Amino acid sequence: MNVNREDRIASLVVAAFSLAYLIYAFFIPMPTLKQQLGPGAFPKGIGVVMLILSGIYVFQQLRGGVKEDEKRAAIIGAEDKIEGKAGIKTIGFMLVLMAFYAFVFERLGYAISTFVVFMVGVLYLDRRHLVRDGIIVVISSFVLYFIFTAFLRVQLPAGPLKLLGL
Amino acid sequence: MNFWNNVTLGFGVAVTPMNLVFAFVGVFLGTVIGVLPGIGPMTGVALLIPLTFGMNPTSAIILMAGIYYGAMYGGSTTSILVNTPGESSSVVTCLDGYEMAKKGRAGPALAAAAISSFVAGTFATLMLMLFGPWVAKIALRFGPPEFFSLMVAALTLVTSLAGRSIVKALLSTLFGLAIATIGIDLQSGVPRYTFGNLELLDGLEFLVVAIGLFALCEVFVNLADMSQAVQERLSIKGGLWLTKEDWKRFTPACIRGTLSGFFVGGIAGAGAAVASFVSYGLEKKASKYRDELGKGAIEGVTGPESANNAAAGGALIHLLCLGIPGSGTTAIMLGALIMLGLQPGPLLFQQQPQFVWGLIASMYIGNVMLLVLNLPLVGMWVKLLDVPLYLLMLFIVLFSFLGVYTMNNSVQDLYLMVGFGVIGYLMKRTDFPASPIILGMVLGKLMEEKMRQSLVISDGSMMIFVTRPISLFLLIVAVVAITNPYWKQIGRAIGGLFISEPKKAQL
Repeated sequence: MNVNREDRIASLVVAAFSLAYLIYAFFIPMPTLKQQLGPGAFPKGIGVVMLILSGIYVFQQLRGGVKEDEKRAAIIGAEDKIEGKAGIKTIGFMLVLMAFYAFVFERLGYAISTFVVFMVGVLYLDRRHLVRDGIIVVISSFVLYFIFTAFLRVQLPAGPLKLLGL
Repeated sequence: MNFWNNVTLGFGVAVTPMNLVFAFVGVFLGTVIGVLPGIGPMTGVALLIPLTFGMNPTSAIILMAGIYYGAMYGGSTTSILVNTPGESSSVVTCLDGYEMAKKGRAGPALAAAAISSFVAGTFATLMLMLFGPWVAKIALRFGPPEFFSLMVAALTLVTSLAGRSIVKALLSTLFGLAIATIGIDLQSGVPRYTFGNLELLDGLEFLVVAIGLFALCEVFVNLADMSQAVQERLSIKGGLWLTKEDWKRFTPACIRGTLSGFFVGGIAGAGAAVASFVSYGLEKKASKYRDELGKGAIEGVTGPESANNAAAGGALIHLLCLGIPGSGTTAIMLGALIMLGLQPGPLLFQQQPQFVWGLIASMYIGNVMLLVLNLPLVGMWVKLLDVPLYLLMLFIVLFSFLGVYTMNNSVQDLYLMVGFGVIGYLMKRTDFPASPIILGMVLGKLMEEKMRQSLVISDGSMMIFVTRPISLFLLIVAVVAITNPYWKQIGRAIGGLFISEPKKAQL
């Protein structure tokens, strides 16, 4: 039997989500015009089945996990599991970087935000080829911005570059 | 319109300079995606969908289909030279492909993979051409109950073949259906799960979810494990051609792989990865040289590579004729076509023949382009493997943000995409498959619509789904698909009821 802490937490999260989804489905208002199946019926159906399945999942974890069918997994070509300790520091860094990118995307504009984010990413992940990577960063940010806006007419946020008339 | 008129129409559309360029760009990008480990065809199609904005739907599907089967071709290169599959349907190719390369036969291995992919891809396209209109004609007789049951069957079939646990796969599917309920209910005008957020009134954008779950998730997965030792890359020594002995062994394996891949992976909806595994299993049973499998047998490369390309072509029959995706990648393509204002399904053959036949014709052209790209240019593809992983991942982030932002100019979409990236990573850690989410999301609204239409016809009675024979058959298929892994246990439990205690003791 495979006892996995992550699976246990996941089972509780999935159960909580299913319950929340189902409860909210009961608050979906009925429309003025009567219908065979109101707007809340399909969500209620999904919620009930999800709750039952998440209950089974929780039960499986409380019993000590499930013996995984590796033979079946091999036949259907299931993706490799991620096992072992996650590179939490790197994942955390990438998550913060992406959230920062979303935060500054319109404020600093595409070109400047992409330059900053890409450069920070390169400096953190591998700074052995700064000149080569620096050139790539400039092309990916400013040159791509110019190509998209001037040639392809795709609207991208300009940010402070608007002051330069770009 | 008769068959030959349709073929002429199709080639007339496919050989326009613009569509030839799109076909080439699609197969080129698809091969790049297939070669680069860490990005599969699902991620690749999702990332490149923004390129199709502003295109007419015919050109868009030509591009996306090129990426799809191009990735099947490209995936074999890394399997053979680096023992790392470029995508899931090339996993099995590693077993014998890498062994052939170690023996100095990388050239014949690559040639066998490319030629078998070409043969299988052409066969699947021919089947689509011959049987597609016939399947579409049958599907036109389907009413809302049949379509609802067909979607239930499609969801359960894909779910039953995704991941190690049926419970987790079903939960993923239901999560996808749940996401599809966000937004204004079109029939009643009532907002659902929007929490007062105006931007959610139109629901969650399909691309936001797809790119988050696949592309950004891959960034987290790959960068989290960057310290993994790089596999030694073998070089191509000698020529690329097959010997007379190779051709003798290649031919029956190619035929077996093509047929099994088309029917199992395509028509039955099992997908390219399953098709490649089934083909390998078939080679182990049917090949005269089965003892050599796993040690560098050419059948071990030919069979699976034929199967995965035939399956990709077969999956397009589901998509075009029934409007039901038969795999994760075609689910993403369906989402993209709906975004472009098209509804794939049986009416498509009648209402948009230039779209369907143009695509079919371009698949022939694309297969030829791939053969030319993959054989002589294999040295160039191999150089792609030298791109540092961290740069590749940063580019994926860049293109993800660019693609999602250009849809609606919405920063909220960027945050949601990152959120789904985190969800995708957590799902991977806990072994929840992601592709059923996409399928559920794409089919959810349509399923609800067909269910409601059925209940209007039956005046509220659910029996309509079991009293109509085709609908009943499809629901039985769904039940069989979901319960399949438990039949042994069910059989034992039933047997236990009938076998007496002394007999049980004897056994």
